[in-house]
Amino acid sequence: MWRRSASFILDQRIQHDAASTSKPETLSLSPPQTEASHMAASVEPFNQNPNPKISAYYQTRAAHTGVVTPDWLAQAQAAVGRQTEDLPSPEPDLKESDSGKSFSVIKEFDNWRKQPDLAEAVAAIRALAAVIRVSEATTMMELEIELKKASDSLKSWDTTSISLTAGCDLFMRYVTRTSALEYEDFNSARSRLIERAEKFGEISYKARRIIAMLSQDFIFDGCTILVHGFSRVVLEVLKTAAQNKKLFRVLCTEGRPDRTGLRLSNELAKLDVPVKLLIDSAVAYSMDEIDMVFVGADGVVESGGIINMMGTYQIALVAHSMNKPVYVAAESYKFARLYPLDQKDMAPALRPIDFGVPIPSKVEVETSARDYTPPQYLTLLFTDLGVLSPSVVSDELIQLYL
Amino acid sequence: MPDVQVLVNDFLNKLKKRKIEGSLATARQTAELLRSVISQQRVPYTNQARALIDAVRAVGEQLIAANPVELAVGNIVRRVLHIIREEDLSLTTAAMAGLGLSAASDDEDDADQDNHPVLSAAAVAAAARSTLRPPSLQTLLEDVPDSAAVPHTSSSGGDSEGKSKSADKSSRTRKLKHDVIEAVNELIQDIATCHEQIAEQAVEHIHQNEVILTLGSSRTVLEFLCAAKEKQRSFRVFVAEGAPRYQGHLLAKELVTRGLQTTLITDSAVFAMISRVNMVIVGAHAVMANGGVIAPVGLNMVALAAKRHAVPFVVLAGSHKLCPLYPHNPEVLLNELRSPSELLDFGEFSDCMDFGSGTASPLLHVINPTFDYVPPKLVSLFITDTGGHNPSYMYRLIADYYSADDFVVQRRSPTGR
Repeated sequence: MWRRSASFILDQRIQHDAASTSKPETLSLSPPQTEASHMAASVEPFNQNPNPKISAYYQTRAAHTGVVTPDWLAQAQAAVGRQTEDLPSPEPDLKESDSGKSFSVIKEFDNWRKQPDLAEAVAAIRALAAVIRVSEATTMMELEIELKKASDSLKSWDTTSISLTAGCDLFMRYVTRTSALEYEDFNSARSRLIERAEKFGEISYKARRIIAMLSQDFIFDGCTILVHGFSRVVLEVLKTAAQNKKLFRVLCTEGRPDRTGLRLSNELAKLDVPVKLLIDSAVAYSMDEIDMVFVGADGVVESGGIINMMGTYQIALVAHSMNKPVYVAAESYKFARLYPLDQKDMAPALRPIDFGVPIPSKVEVETSARDYTPPQYLTLLFTDLGVLSPSVVSDELIQLYL
Repeated sequence: MPDVQVLVNDFLNKLKKRKIEGSLATARQTAELLRSVISQQRVPYTNQARALIDAVRAVGEQLIAANPVELAVGNIVRRVLHIIREEDLSLTTAAMAGLGLSAASDDEDDADQDNHPVLSAAAVAAAARSTLRPPSLQTLLEDVPDSAAVPHTSSSGGDSEGKSKSADKSSRTRKLKHDVIEAVNELIQDIATCHEQIAEQAVEHIHQNEVILTLGSSRTVLEFLCAAKEKQRSFRVFVAEGAPRYQGHLLAKELVTRGLQTTLITDSAVFAMISRVNMVIVGAHAVMANGGVIAPVGLNMVALAAKRHAVPFVVLAGSHKLCPLYPHNPEVLLNELRSPSELLDFGEFSDCMDFGSGTASPLLHVINPTFDYVPPKLVSLFITDTGGHNPSYMYRLIADYYSADDFVVQRRSPTGR
């Protein structure tokens, strides 16, 4: 009785109309925004995401995890070199205008996130630390308001990145909580916040080592591991296992369109770990010989499920139907206050896919970069808070936000 | 000290030779042994909790190594360590609050003592409370509290205070040990009464005219069923005999003497009879942190049959059976193989199983595992002495009873990890 309506035709027509009327790119979306952009004319490129249709987070990920080409290497080196010079320079800019402050947050964040080894949340927290450092607030309340503004602007700049949102929320939460402790002196409280934020980078690195340590027991000699997507945490896990002289084999999925599998297999080959590449469709075919699946996560949601690169849900479904455990390695600052009810229930994160041949314009392409895996398909999560089953995640989140 | 060593060696011997049957007896004896260790341990003025923890850890490591499959030993060792930490913490915060001094807050001691001469006691208590909990999101941005931080509090607190405190300190020395021993006594009491507490809940779960299935023999299950019988519930019990030890026979006899209608079946008949059963109630050897159960052999099959026919699978377990570890490869690592003589008679089969004659190894192997691993998705309900719980809730009970620092019971190596 309830047949699906052919609403996709209607949707398409509406989309076409919308696209044809709003020709000029992103600046003319709404009047207040254009005014703001006129005001901060010199700082345009950074106040707005250059192309909101494409997720900046996934662009950066693709840049980091794509196959290493000489161009990329040069770019990375330039970014690292630029990084040290850039830190002092945003500060003199600040004295100029009010919008200069948010300018520096986003620019700062952008600089930090370009480093290939740095996690998103760490970059966000470092950027917020920079805001504290240059802020002229004299009371805790004022500082918090400034931070809230900066954090909101960061979040709205890239709505698709979950670890960015989670990192900002975590830092805001921490600030409000420590300000509740009676620090007599505002300056010392401020310096403590800055010091903590800078230390956060070490925590992130430490978190990866803890996760690698916790997962060692679960990798036994002679096992075959399936890996999807390029996660630095999972790489650390496998590196540690290789260093502990465990004998295991890795199957990596190709990971279209980012070709994460190629990058990962490169890294693993350096460690002398036997690697086999699969195309994404060959997962069910090889699931028989696989002992466990290891994935990272872009975000861990309240239900205990994860948001990760497109394809993770598929693999989890196949693994579950064949009784293979699915292990997730994620740092605890990726826990986010989201509760997606289905695949489309998140902010869309789109990523252009290059098929190699031109596609006729009438043909649509599903460009979403990520999917949501519900908790019943996951076996265990390895985090720096310990080994958790998916049901523990919501408990942890409640503890944080209470 | 020499007394304690003798006791420890004696107990180690018993564990290695598997002379102690059952997790209840093991748990009780472990707790009593640790109580003696603590009472005999001489503690210094400062850092007493650290001394106690080290002593218990040293003994605990040996005990766990003697019988790694008997998880109750490790559980009790960790419970005692958790008790020591808790008592130390409550003493410290009580002392701070009582004297209202500028004492150490958790980990910010050394750096900030000069800057923050006065912190309210409430803040200290809150901060101190957070060190006892396992690392969580909220402690993420603080220094991750080292397990040394807790005894550190008492020591640096001692150092920074004036001479007026020294009188207090000596009373505190005695108080910590006294409190810990009291708490361990409570633990022993809990272990001894776990059967009664579980059996009290029988009436909520067993209803009139039900058919219950069980396998082998478990004292907890026996008391559970008898408690329901005493509350005038009439029900029938199917007992699967539980080869090769056939303890189901003993259970059936016991049930009959208490007046319950019993049917005895073979293990292989479980699948055939499961559709006529309302509920499966079994005991466990140990419960892991993910909700998985280490149970006597044959129960995995019963659990699968119950899942297939949508029959609730209820596991009864005292809190000393809760283990904070996650199992990886439990069928091999947490299992014990018993003597083949329980299956085959050496007399008749001597030629097949003979290692000495002719060929290097015999063609007939006999494997007699003691335990089975039942994954959490097959279990419907856990009934512990604190009530009925979901398998996915086990982690909460574990967080209450154990500290995260104790999951690996090994003496702190000087290099540190």
